[in-house]
Amino acid sequence: MASPRRPNDGRPDPEALLARSQREGRARLKVFLGAAPGVGKTYSMLQNARRVKADGVDVAIGIVETHGRIETGALVEGLEMLPRRTSSYRERIIEEFDLDAALARKPKLLVVDELAHTNAPDSRHPKRWQDVEELLDAGIDVWTALNIQHLESLADVVSRITGIVVRETVPDKVLQEADAVVLVDITPDELIARLHEGKVYLPEVARRATERFFTPGNLTALRELALRRTADRVDDQMVDYLRLKAIEGPWNSSERLLACIAPNAAAERIVRRASQLATSLNAGWIAVHLERPGEIADAQKAEHVRSAMGLAERLGGETRRVSGADLVEETLRLARRENVTQIIVGARERSFMQHAFGRSFAEELTRRAGQFEIHFVHTQPAPAAPRPPLRRVFGMATGKRMAVETGVAALAVAGAVGVCEGLSEVLRLPNLSMVFLVAVLFCAVRFGVRAAVIASFLSFLAYNFFFIQPVYTFTIAEPHELLALLVFLAVAVLTGSLAGRIHDQREGVIRNAAVTQSLYDFSRKISGAATADDVMWAATAHLHATLGRQVTLLASAGEELTLQAAWPPDVQLDAAEASAARWAQQKGEPAGWSTGTLPRVRFQFRPLQTARGTVAVCGFEPPDAAAALSEDDERALSAVFGQTAIALDRALLAREAARATSFEENEKVRDALLASLSHDLRTPLAAIAGAASSLRDLGANMSEAERIELLASIEEETGRLSRFVANLLDMSRIEAGGLKARRDWVDVADVVRSAVARCRKAFPNARLRVSLAADLPFARGDARLLEQVLFNLLDNAQKYGGDGESAIHARREGEDLILSVTDEGPGVKPADLDRIFEKFYRGGRSDGRKAGTGLGLSICRGLVEAMGGVIIAQSPAARRRGTRIVVRLPAVEPPPLPGAET
Amino acid sequence: MNGRRILVVDDEPEIQRFLRLALSAAGFEPIAAVTGAETLKALVNKAPDAIVLDLGLPDRDGKDVLRDIRSFSQVPVVILSARDREAEKIEALDLGADDYVEKPFGIGELMARLRTALRHAAPATPQQARFEIGGLVVDTERRQISRDGEAIRLTPKEYDLLLALVRRAGRVITHRQILNEVWGPAHNDDTQYLRVFIGQLRAKVEREPSAPVIILTEPGVGYRIVERGGS
Repeated sequence: MASPRRPNDGRPDPEALLARSQREGRARLKVFLGAAPGVGKTYSMLQNARRVKADGVDVAIGIVETHGRIETGALVEGLEMLPRRTSSYRERIIEEFDLDAALARKPKLLVVDELAHTNAPDSRHPKRWQDVEELLDAGIDVWTALNIQHLESLADVVSRITGIVVRETVPDKVLQEADAVVLVDITPDELIARLHEGKVYLPEVARRATERFFTPGNLTALRELALRRTADRVDDQMVDYLRLKAIEGPWNSSERLLACIAPNAAAERIVRRASQLATSLNAGWIAVHLERPGEIADAQKAEHVRSAMGLAERLGGETRRVSGADLVEETLRLARRENVTQIIVGARERSFMQHAFGRSFAEELTRRAGQFEIHFVHTQPAPAAPRPPLRRVFGMATGKRMAVETGVAALAVAGAVGVCEGLSEVLRLPNLSMVFLVAVLFCAVRFGVRAAVIASFLSFLAYNFFFIQPVYTFTIAEPHELLALLVFLAVAVLTGSLAGRIHDQREGVIRNAAVTQSLYDFSRKISGAATADDVMWAATAHLHATLGRQVTLLASAGEELTLQAAWPPDVQLDAAEASAARWAQQKGEPAGWSTGTLPRVRFQFRPLQTARGTVAVCGFEPPDAAAALSEDDERALSAVFGQTAIALDRALLAREAARATSFEENEKVRDALLASLSHDLRTPLAAIAGAASSLRDLGANMSEAERIELLASIEEETGRLSRFVANLLDMSRIEAGGLKARRDWVDVADVVRSAVARCRKAFPNARLRVSLAADLPFARGDARLLEQVLFNLLDNAQKYGGDGESAIHARREGEDLILSVTDEGPGVKPADLDRIFEKFYRGGRSDGRKAGTGLGLSICRGLVEAMGGVIIAQSPAARRRGTRIVVRLPAVEPPPLPGAET
Repeated sequence: MNGRRILVVDDEPEIQRFLRLALSAAGFEPIAAVTGAETLKALVNKAPDAIVLDLGLPDRDGKDVLRDIRSFSQVPVVILSARDREAEKIEALDLGADDYVEKPFGIGELMARLRTALRHAAPATPQQARFEIGGLVVDTERRQISRDGEAIRLTPKEYDLLLALVRRAGRVITHRQILNEVWGPAHNDDTQYLRVFIGQLRAKVEREPSAPVIILTEPGVGYRIVERGGS
């Protein structure tokens, strides 16, 4: 097919460049691929490892099984072996690859044998290839070995060829994304010869089964698969190379495949087939799940779809879902939109009903496909190994329900028999079959389609047995009776299944309505939640109500992911659970129960994601640990997670906005402080500079008295400036914690007198009243600091007290000494009583009020507290005016004076 | 100039004290006001010839007081402020203040500003037609400029710009005021053009354009042309 690309203009293909640059970021994976065990993969890998080590590369061996082979064992000598992790499983000690040790050691290149290995149950990942992915993500190059039969997409083929079910599989994408594939190849004859020489290790138990595997036919087939896969890869690399170098095509088939997945057992088969076809065509492919709206999928069908879609993702396909009344049209629309060229569809044996009432999906698709090529895949249920645990669970549930339905149908039919017997005693009815129809419809309406069909057949038998001549036998004498009976059966089955379907759909609708209602309630609840905390509690409570199991929510607090909310509230997470949660947060993927990471953890952790990344991680216990989540549960959970993520995002944004606002407010406060400092420094400076320059420029025109006045002004302002600077220094000393208060006996009366004297000197016009109680005790403290406190308080009283009188008062109160300074100013607003002790806090605007430092009171507080005392403000002090600052210090008895005793 | 009455508005007693002494020594008659209300009362009752106004007043913002003054009086106002934020100064100048002095200041600076302001407010002398600044002669009747007798050719915009500065010689003129006067109100914020034009003008009128002595920059506020410097 011709390439639809635009004419080549000699430029490299951007996609190819992008893919290459993405590959460059990651560490490199080299896979040693073999057709069967014993071809020498490990040997070849170790040989290579020795060679690169000789070249000086930092190589370590993560895990290698030599199986006691001497040649291989000799190669390990001299290479660094990482310690293995021991793990006990079913009372056996297993040695496992230690992922954490490898990550901690972080060599340049790590050799990890047997990529398809299944890890011990307590490992972080169930499969070794997942360990390898993590190593690659961590920047460690990995060399590993793989047998072709373990490739997921070939599992079917291999089991068909060899008759052996392959349990350990590796997704194809691992091999596709490998940077290099080395094919380790020997001929089947050689391999069989080696087997007979005992050079191929086989465990004793599996020997017989495995020997059947090593036939020339099997080995040739596997070898072909391995060679072809490698050739495909070489092909891909060639194409990549050509694209990258912008070499003229045609080099790409540009085919695109669409696989239609219906909910039946053939789904996985179709996916595998599509993947194989896509690989051989070198084409991209999409798996699409067709969903009829309103169709209620039972658990088994849902499981088919889920596992098929999961498989498609693992095989490297894209997945889509379409629904609509006309599925054929929707499918074709998708195909056109995605530039699909070929469609793969299951050709199913059709039921009697489909034959009677219309074309199958595949037929209809073929009729309308137009330009698309259609492939049919036969969908006879494959004899492939089923998934025992899930199937059993669903089987049990279905069996139980079936028993109930059969019982109900039997009772209904028995009832109908009774009624008919009773009626025929009283009056002669020409056709009793109507009564049985009632029984069938009853079953249909109350218990659904299956009960109705069972009831139809039971009615058919009972009617025949009890009421058709000869009675109490299943034989029928009259041919027209037989006809009537068959018509009855047909009518019963048809009406019963119609009525039953209505019943089933009604149940579905009710269930959906309940889910919708509960979601609606939830979204209303969280839209009212103001903080992230409220949202989280609402979400856990809601999920708990939905699932009936434990639910936890974790979010980052700083570096750590911590439990923020849980229901019931006392749930704790153990170490394994916490690390699953961290995984979910870091990788943005589900972890824990039923996932690829730490699946033995009882919770499943899902990341809650928004455009800004993972905002939280939700862990929930599944309603049934042995079964997958039902589609309804899954839908309800996703909706709740989505809503919660949005609400959390909103709450977090609100918090950030609030923080930004408070930051802005802090900025404003700082601006005000700077303005205030600048005003307080400049005002005295302005007076000094102004007075000095006036004296110089205009002194000649002034009288002697005027000159003295200016000089006095300079002196006073210098004092004021110096007090301000001293205060600033005191403050920084207090803040730096460098202030050491002495704890001496202090004669308070003395200190008060000296503070008052200093105040009178600074404010000659001050009106100051001093009252000292007669029985003043000593205080414990530092006389110098206490004087500073009192002076600052008096200074404040002068500044803010207006022209009124200020008072200083000292007395004893119990074990304490109380000192107070009161002014008669306008007072302080109650809201500001505490704030006045804050640094730089002053009432009013940042300037245009009394000169002061805004430091006085905060220094007082620092000093008083250094002396072990308390300082508070009271306002109004008296007659609705004035401010009183009260200092409370611990009192001590005066020291006994020698010779004072009488 | 003797006997001119100066209203000093400041709430700092120390500033009031030295200004009172200095102004009277310089031959002015100082009167004092502490609040905005007192200022307006004094302006009406005592008819001062100029006002020295502090922007930080106990009862209201000095800029509001200035706005009230300008609503009914063209008395020269020199702003006195410890605030060093440009925005404040520019706002006050745009509100109609004649000039500003920043605290702390020398008395000489204040006196010079005060005198310039008083002179400009003097009863309208016939429209002055000829200016002489530092050897630069501006003849507004003939729209001719010369320096040291040599004619200088200016573009019409450069001439308008020079004229705007010359008319307010000695006083600061804000960017906005210049733009408004020369380019019209639509260009009030285009200060980058102004810088370019000033550069061109200096290249033509200054002897040493890199060290201008005629057109001075008031950083962040505007420009000031010297009154009679240089010569």
